[in-house]
Amino acid sequence: MINFDSSVPVKLKGVGDGFWITLDPSCSEETIKSEINNLFKNLKPLVMNSSVVIDVGAAKGHGDLIKNITSHLKNTFKVTKVTTPPEKRSIPTQRIRQRDLSKGWNHHKSDVLMLRGRVRSGQKIESKRHIVITGDVNPGAEIIASGDIIVLGKLAGKVHAGCPGNNTAIIFALEFKPTHVQIGAIAAAGMDEDFIAKPEYACIEDDGIMVKDYMKTNPFRKMPWPETI
Amino acid sequence: MEGKVIVITSGKGGVGKTTATSSIGAALALEGKRVAIVDMDIGLRNLDVVMGLENRIVFNIVDVVHGKCKISQAAIRDRRIKNLFLIPASQSDNKDVLTTAGVERVAEQLKKEFDYIIMDSPAGIEKGFENSIVGADEAIVVCTPDVSAVRDADRVIGILYSKSLNPKLLVNRIEPARVERGEMLSHEDVLEVLSIDLAGLVPMDEQVLISSNTGTPLVLQNESKAGQAFKRIARRLNGEADLPIQAPELKTSLWGKIGRTFGLKK
Repeated sequence: MINFDSSVPVKLKGVGDGFWITLDPSCSEETIKSEINNLFKNLKPLVMNSSVVIDVGAAKGHGDLIKNITSHLKNTFKVTKVTTPPEKRSIPTQRIRQRDLSKGWNHHKSDVLMLRGRVRSGQKIESKRHIVITGDVNPGAEIIASGDIIVLGKLAGKVHAGCPGNNTAIIFALEFKPTHVQIGAIAAAGMDEDFIAKPEYACIEDDGIMVKDYMKTNPFRKMPWPETI
Repeated sequence: MEGKVIVITSGKGGVGKTTATSSIGAALALEGKRVAIVDMDIGLRNLDVVMGLENRIVFNIVDVVHGKCKISQAAIRDRRIKNLFLIPASQSDNKDVLTTAGVERVAEQLKKEFDYIIMDSPAGIEKGFENSIVGADEAIVVCTPDVSAVRDADRVIGILYSKSLNPKLLVNRIEPARVERGEMLSHEDVLEVLSIDLAGLVPMDEQVLISSNTGTPLVLQNESKAGQAFKRIARRLNGEADLPIQAPELKTSLWGKIGRTFGLKK
């Protein structure tokens, strides 16, 4: 049966990694369930283990309805997570929230190994975290990190970031002159061509290692706010 | 007052450890100190040849460490420079015959009898190297201005730091003409990588080869530039820490000097 008078009882749209269902709470529970069954029938493999947001629009209450639909979705379609849409916050609350967030890094346990001084030939620094070295890395030295490698000085040794298999890692140095670079599983030899000392970083692009001018293509410039690592 | 054990090492072979050891030792003796130079390169002894004392060897450092003779029996007195003694290495053993504990004990004994004990370390970073640094109070790393010597010196400096020795750097065989032409690393380039205190800079000098082949001390030859540089290093070690370090310079004409003053490039 199609109801021409009011809006459809159930509307479905895909959002992010799940689905967004808009319900008309004036319809009966049975109608809504059968509509959901109709809509989800063909999507069954997609819906499984996904998350669903149930939106009843501006209407308030309907706690029972949402609860029933939630259990229906979980039981029939094996949906992992059912939520209601987040409440819209006024601008002042948003600001307060951001300030709260910034306090968060006081309690943050760092994922960075920071070292000071010169790393000499034959020395090997390995870490499951990011590595920051304030000092030079001499030829013959080796640095292996599971995350990024940042050298505030001259990098002339052998570096392996994102070990193993993290292709998003970067290697940064104020003077980028390594003998050998590896990010994840992709490796490259250092360059012998004329070298100008400037801040550069290496990252993976199109299955190859690219070395870029940090001041021109800062990879973090687009991040809207500082994030703890 | 107890003496001081100074080890001369480099990692790489052929950079001038033995020359530096004999020259610095002789220069310190000329300053009036009682100096023993010890060849720790067991199995490949050279220091006796360079010093022209080969035919006077009876006992050696291995005998001393094993207690077969006294230090005074093994130490050969140099005839030209008084207060200079050589304790040669054994040519027939290999580097494993010495233990670090034994060398340390002998180093303590030597300190009681001499003002300076200069140890000539073998190349490499194995057992022989470990034996030679175990009793040392100070270390001098010899390095020539080429990439492989710098790499090895860097490794050795790292090891010395881990044994809580604060090494000083001696850059040997600098050729100012080739540095100027950009064919050779300058001592600034070397220092930039190694970043430790300088003991001194020694220019390339043909006299070195002649004097080591004839077994005459380099520092006795006044016209030798390298000999003069080693003398200054010895004075610096012997308390004159403020003696400025002279960078080897090219002999240029007056006009060249004036040009350089005005910042003109040759």
